[in-house]
Parts: sequence; structure tokens; C-alpha cells
Amino acid sequence: MTTRTATTYQWSARGFVAPGVILVAVLLYLPLLWTVYLSFTHYDGLGDPQWVGLDNYVEMFTDPGFVGSALNTLLWVVGTLIVPVGVGLAIALLTWNLGGGIWLRLPLLIPYALSGIGVGVIWSFILSSGGALDQALAAIGVTDPPRWLIDAPLNTVVMIIAAAWQGVGVNALLFTIGLQSIPKEPLEAARIDGANGLRLFGSILWPMLRPLTAVVVGLSIVASLKTFDIVWSMTKGGPGTVSETLALTMYKDTFVNSDYGLGSAIAVFLTIVTLVASIIYLRQQLSPKNEI
Amino acid sequence: MSRIIRIVVLVVLGLVWLVPTYLLVVNAAKDPTTFTTKQSWIPTDFHLFQNIGDALTLSGLGNSILSTAIYSIVSPAIAVVVGAAAGFAIVALKLRRGFLWFVVIFGGTVFPLQMILLPLFDGYSRVGLYDTRIGMVIVYTAISIPFSAFVMRNFFTGVAASVFEAAVLDGATTWRIFTRMYLPIASSALVAIFILQATFVWNDLLLGLTLTQSDDIRPIVTTLSGMQSTYGGAQMSTVLAAAVLVSLPTVILFLCTQKFFAKGLALGQY
Amino acid sequence: MTSRRTLVTAVAALTVVGAALAGCSGSSGTAGGATTGTLSFYTDKAAWKPDFESLNATSKKDADITVKTTGYSDANQYDAFIKQSFRTSKSPGLFTWHTGDSLKQLVDDGLVAETTDIWAKAVKEGWVSEDLRTSYTFDGKQYCVPMNIAYWVMFYNKKTFDQNDITVPTTWDELNQVAATLKSKGVTPYYQTSQLFTFQWFQHLVASTDPDLYKGLEDGTVKYTDPRIVDVMNTWLDEEKKGWFSDAGSSTDPAVGLKQGDFAMIDFGTWYAGNLAGAGMTTSDYGMFAIPAVNSALDKTPVAVESGPLCVAAKSSQKALGLKYSEWWMSADAQSAWNKAHGDVAFNPKATVSDPALAKIGTEIAGPDYQLYDRFFEAMPTAVVTVALEQFGAFAANPGDPKPFLQKIQDAADKYWASQKK
Repeated sequence: MTTRTATTYQWSARGFVAPGVILVAVLLYLPLLWTVYLSFTHYDGLGDPQWVGLDNYVEMFTDPGFVGSALNTLLWVVGTLIVPVGVGLAIALLTWNLGGGIWLRLPLLIPYALSGIGVGVIWSFILSSGGALDQALAAIGVTDPPRWLIDAPLNTVVMIIAAAWQGVGVNALLFTIGLQSIPKEPLEAARIDGANGLRLFGSILWPMLRPLTAVVVGLSIVASLKTFDIVWSMTKGGPGTVSETLALTMYKDTFVNSDYGLGSAIAVFLTIVTLVASIIYLRQQLSPKNEI
Repeated sequence: MSRIIRIVVLVVLGLVWLVPTYLLVVNAAKDPTTFTTKQSWIPTDFHLFQNIGDALTLSGLGNSILSTAIYSIVSPAIAVVVGAAAGFAIVALKLRRGFLWFVVIFGGTVFPLQMILLPLFDGYSRVGLYDTRIGMVIVYTAISIPFSAFVMRNFFTGVAASVFEAAVLDGATTWRIFTRMYLPIASSALVAIFILQATFVWNDLLLGLTLTQSDDIRPIVTTLSGMQSTYGGAQMSTVLAAAVLVSLPTVILFLCTQKFFAKGLALGQY
Repeated sequence: MTSRRTLVTAVAALTVVGAALAGCSGSSGTAGGATTGTLSFYTDKAAWKPDFESLNATSKKDADITVKTTGYSDANQYDAFIKQSFRTSKSPGLFTWHTGDSLKQLVDDGLVAETTDIWAKAVKEGWVSEDLRTSYTFDGKQYCVPMNIAYWVMFYNKKTFDQNDITVPTTWDELNQVAATLKSKGVTPYYQTSQLFTFQWFQHLVASTDPDLYKGLEDGTVKYTDPRIVDVMNTWLDEEKKGWFSDAGSSTDPAVGLKQGDFAMIDFGTWYAGNLAGAGMTTSDYGMFAIPAVNSALDKTPVAVESGPLCVAAKSSQKALGLKYSEWWMSADAQSAWNKAHGDVAFNPKATVSDPALAKIGTEIAGPDYQLYDRFFEAMPTAVVTVALEQFGAFAANPGDPKPFLQKIQDAADKYWASQKK
């Protein structure tokens, strides 16, 4: 067997990776660079951007609303890890090696296929005062339900649940795939040794799921930091700004107030946070000693 | 945990999960002129097809469907192959500083789409790609690549190096190894990614809103969103009917391709 | 497996090629200074697209111009798109915009075409009142033409009024009586929401207490924390405490809410009649009245007016075409056709308003007993409006001491006026 030196196939490798890098660089990074540039300027969409250095960043960090936004975003990250990811894993474990598992997971997958318009509208419909949920509660005698979309942090929590409704199915699917790919021998061996239930999970399943968990958690962190659509369609960050997330603040500054500089600064901040979080997490998860 | 308990838990969970979908369909079927929000749970009439018809005429959807179909099929297909190629390069070919390149590609998915909308619009109109199908295909491909590369890279780490070595010994070029061996091994993963990305592209709103204007180039959800505004927008039941209509293809796609998922995005056991 | 992959790739490639060939679209604009043909028109009122398109038959006949409409439903995205398009070769031949600060921005940067001559002709022909011209005038010149006007009035559920023996109020005291009576019979008097349309009660309370107070907010000479404004808010707070407003957390469509009796009255623009019709209500189900002034000492009752402009981009390749269409738009024929398609009141007194109820209230408000003021949305600077809408919404959701809410709005106002002085 020949051993491969570090330089073998490098040219070939570059060829394979090039299309991906080029497309992403041109279509995604180039516009991003423009945004980074804008974050150092004052620009209202008309006229030309004027350089103002770090002013936008200072304004961003000193805005009292910023802390609230950041905390809500953090709430989303944690909430998304607990609910869509956690519940997804639980479901995958429940359906594992169960006949007809596919059909049991199906109702959970349908929400992902539904259009965003439908999801936002239907959940507002359900959660608004006097809406479907309140009607159901009234039928069982609960007559003074909380105002789901008005009171913070309750509104953020229910929106996380709405987001989970869409996301659980896909996560369950990915975890199922991970479980199915675990080699049979170690599993059998452990069972013969008498391990089952929690021990089986802890010593065999969880470690072997690691690469897939990395995928799911990594994607979740990124998606939750970017949370926009659901919040925008259900509360628009309100009432006031209590359920606003960083992505919403950025959107409002850019598109509503036409303060592109400030909006860009927030976007840059958000991007850096997300990138750092993902790199730290992935590097740790995907380093060679963790791969089996 | 005994089988029965597991099944019961899952069935209950499944039913609970279906509830919002039920509400969606029931209320999409109501006649707008008698629509009330008092009885959300009870179907009052079956006006669904008329509502869908209204949605179709109100937004001229017919034209968009072909374009949207093109975007949802072509872009993910290309992205899936490109992502696999990147994964192959990093893992099998041991690209130098592979992790860095991986981060570069993955980083493309990290920032919110809203932020690149306007620079993209500016750039597109300057080079003449604005309001063209080619322009949309390119941008949808680009945004599908990071996810594809991510999953494929992970997938390929499960394929033992010995596979590659053996092929080299047999005298195959890297291209042949990629297309004749790695892609086929990954076929169910490729299909799964394709389906997820196709759904995403199908449901896109923002990119369509920013980069197109003509009805026949516009993707379907963008055209539909025009119906939903206080300034004389369509009634709730018509909007919901439109949402049901738009979701049908993706739901059907999911239902029909269950077996691909069942085969497993197996992380390779070689 | 391999052949399937290759097949898919081949199909994809072919589709791409085919799409590329078929793909390059483009609106068919006319070149340079042509004054007939197809005009590219953009609007943020996407739901009105069918109405605009139905006008093409008339415009083709009268002026040999038709419009090709592209609609956006998200107003913010639309604004950003239009502003961005000025820098490209796609600047619009015709587009809808907003009066007030937003229009001033475009005028200051020379981005919209002047329409002074068109207005002169329109006023001479009696197509529009001189009052309306002021909203479109900057430095003595006019820009854009009015697409529509709408008055903000009170819609009420006729059945609810009849059942509770209530007649339409003509003074503020009578209105309060009506509200108290309704409340005592278990009916919620007014609709409110915590999203977007949260300003209408504030604007009415302030402007009808003292129109100069409202003007002071417009130009920054009066602060939101001024004691007179606080008083106004306390009146509102009082009404909230009496339970006169509907639940702000409900996202039920107000038209549906009015129909099913959730509340008795809605303060909205006259264009809302279209929504009510869509929900299945006719003028025997609902009525409208101008909201009486808080301050009964005023001679004329202030009514909020919103007017949306139709503008032509100064650098557009379709500028001449756009201007010709604008001129036609103001004529009685065009406005009658528009009214037939769309409803609402008309700014052209010579146009036929098809809905008799709207015609009646339109004529009434255009008469001597009423004065007009710009709707809050357009009257105040954008940055202030954004914060104000949020704060009014928060106030509606959790009514309490108004000062913290007003302070937040004033902070935004301070920031804005300070930046204007630079």
C-alpha cells in the first residue's frame, strides 16, 4: 500500500474544492464585505456612504435595547438546543428499531415542508388572544389564559415552541440516521454484556452519535442566532421591543429606519459571534481524536 | 422501555404535532364572507377549492410555478454535487488546511440573508443578472452549498481511507474515484440533502423578492406574500388556502421519498 | 447508481441551458422620451395590483399607455428596493411612495421628477384641491401626483348600535356616552392592536385637542414629554382602564372582528371599506362617521388624511411616459375608473365615487366644517415613527403611566432633530 505524502493530490483536491469556494465567495462573501464596509459608514440608502469609523459600533453597544435583544437571542439559542434538538434526539431514540418508525415520525416532518407564510400565520392564529388555543382552554374551563404573544419572556418561549414545531422532525430524522449507522458489533457486544437503557445510551450510543450531533447542534446554533422569520411574523419584536432578537434589530435599523450603517454593524457583530461559536464547537467535535 | 409505551407516546406526539396542520387546513377551507375566528376548531364549510382558485387568480401563480420548479430542482442538484466535491477534497484527498477551507465554505451560511440582499441586488443589476432565471439559479446554488458541504464532509469521514487507497492502486484518476465510487456510496445522503434544500429553495421569499420582478421569473412564495397585507389584502382563509397550495409539492415530496431517508444517511461502515 | 447521478446531472445541465435561453426576461419599457407604450410600475400595495391593472383598458383608450405592475407587500423591503434602484439602470418609470419626510428625502437628492406643470393644470381644471397641493410642494415646486387619498374615520357596526339604541355621536361628550353605554351592555367599544396601526387614537386626541400641538410635534418644537401631551395620554389611559378597548393581543383581522361583534367601532382609513367588503359586510352592516373633536371649541373638526403619491424617477428611461401617465391619472375619467375598480374616496371632486356612503362622507369632510392634517405615519420623521409605533403598541398592550413610553419616543425625536442640525 502506498503511503500518501502531504503533497499528493493537492492540485486535484484544490480543483474539487474550488467550485464550492468560488460560488460561496462571490455570491455570499462579496456582498458581506460590502456590509462590513457599510458598518463603518453612515448611509441612508440615497446619496453616498460617509465614513464614520467606529461610531456605529459604539452606538450599538451603548443602546439599552441592545442588551435586551442580545439576551433574547441567547434565549433562542438555549431554547433551540433544548427543544428542537433535545426533543428530536428523544424521538429518534424512541423510534429506533421500532417497526413502522417511519410512519411514526411522519407527522413530525410535515411541518418542515409547510411554507413559511402558513406557519407564521397559523401560529399567530393559534396564540393570539381569543385564538384557537384560548378557545381550547376555555372548553376545559381555563378562562383567563396568559397573553401568549404579549407578555415577555413568555412570548419568546412560545415562539421557540412554534419554531420547534417545524424543526423537531428534521432533527429526529438526522439523529435516526445517525443511530442507524452505528456499527452493529459493538452494540451487540454491549447488549450481551448486559448494558441496556441508559447505560447503553451513555457508553455506546452517545459517543458514536457524536459526528452527527455535531452536525445538528452546529446547524441549530447558527439557525437560532439568525432567528428572524418567526419572530417577525408573530410579534415583530413587540410589544415595544421585548421579544426582539439581534436579527430583528438589524432588520429594523436597515430596512425600517434606513440606517444601513448601524444595521450593518449589528450584522457584523452577529456574524462574528456565530462564526466564533461554530468554530469553537466544531473544532472540538470534529478533531481527529473524536472521529471513529 | 417496552414497545407499547414507546408506540403510545409517539402516536400521541404525532397527533399533537398534526394539530396546527389540521387548523391550517380547516380554516383554509372556510368561506371568507362568513369566516369568523370564534370557532377555529370546527370546519364550517368546504370552500377550499374556491379559496385556492381565488389565490391563484389574485396572484397570477401559474407563471411562477415553472420557474420555482426549475430553481428547486436545478440549484440543489448542482449544490449537492459541488458540496460533495468539497467534502471529497477535504477528507479523501486530504486537502492542506482542509479545516480552514471547510470553515470558509460553511461560513457562508452563518450570516443572516437580509444583510446581503441589497448588495446582491446592486451587483446583479449591474451585471445584468437581475430578474433572470440564470441569476436565481446561481444564487440558490450558492446558498445551498454550505449545508451540503457540511453534511457531505461529515459523511465522507466515515468512509475508510482504505477505499481510496484501493482505487488508486487500481489506477483510477481522482475524478473517476469521485464519480464512480464516492458519489454512489453517498447516494442516499445526496438525495436527502437535495430534498431538504429543494424544500428550502421552494419556500424562499427574500431572495425572490429582492432579485426578481417579473411574474414568470418570481418564485411562488414571493408572489403569494403579496396577498397578505392590511392594505386590502386577501382574507385570512384565502391566504391560508394559498399557503396550503404552496406547501403541497413539498409535502408530497417528503411523503414519497421516505424510503431514501429510511435507507439512511449512513455514515459509512467500511 | 452512477448512471442515475449522470442522468440527473445531464438533465440539470440541459435545464440550465434551456432556462438561460428562455430566462432573460426584462420588462418591455419604451426608450427615452416616448409618451405611449407600456410603463413599468412598482407599488408596495401589492394587494391593489388587480385594481391598477384593470385601469389599463381606460388608460389605453385615453392616453395609449398601459402599466405593468410589480407589487411588493412588505413596505420596508419595498422602500429599500426603490432607494437602491435609483443607483442602477432600473430606476422605476412609475412607483408609489409616501408623503412627508420620505418624499422630502427623495426630493432633496433630486431623485424624483418635477410635476409643477401637471399640478397647475389639475388645479385649473378643478381636478384637485389646492390644500392637497401643499403636501406635494417643496421649495415652491411640486413633485409626484396623488395616487389616492383616504380619511381616517370611525367605522361602526350598525347592528350593534341599533341593538343598544345608540345614534351616531356628533360631539366628544356624545362619543364618550356611546362608549360608556356599550361597555355597560357588555360590548367593547373600540378596536386596538399592538402592531403597526397603533397611532390613530393618539393622532386624533392630540390634533383635535389643538391642531397647533400636533404641528409642534411635526416640526420638533413640541416634545412628546410636554405636559399637554402627557394629559392627552392620560385621557387614553383612562379609557383603557375603563375597558373601552379590545384586547391588544388579538391578531384577528379587524374586519372579521367588527363583523362578529368583538367590538363596535374601528378607527381606520376609508380604504378599509374594501377590507370590510371582503369580509362579507355591506353598507347596511357598517357605517362611518368623522370622529368628533376632543376640544369642542374648535370651529373645524380635524380629520387625518393620508395621501399616497405616484412618483416618477428623475433618471428613469421611462420618465416622459411616467409623467404622461401621471397627468392622465389626475383627470376625472381616470379617477372615476380608479374609484370603480378600487373604491374609497377620491381627491378629484369631479370623479364619480361609486360607493354612496363613501361619496357622502368624502363630500362632508371636504366641506367647511372640517380641516385636514397629515396622518401620523407621514407627518413625523421616520425614525420617530418607528419608535412611536412600538411604544404606542406597548402602551396598548400594558396600559400604565404614559411618561416612560413618551420618554422613549422623545429620545428618538431628540436624536433625529439633533442630526438635522448638523
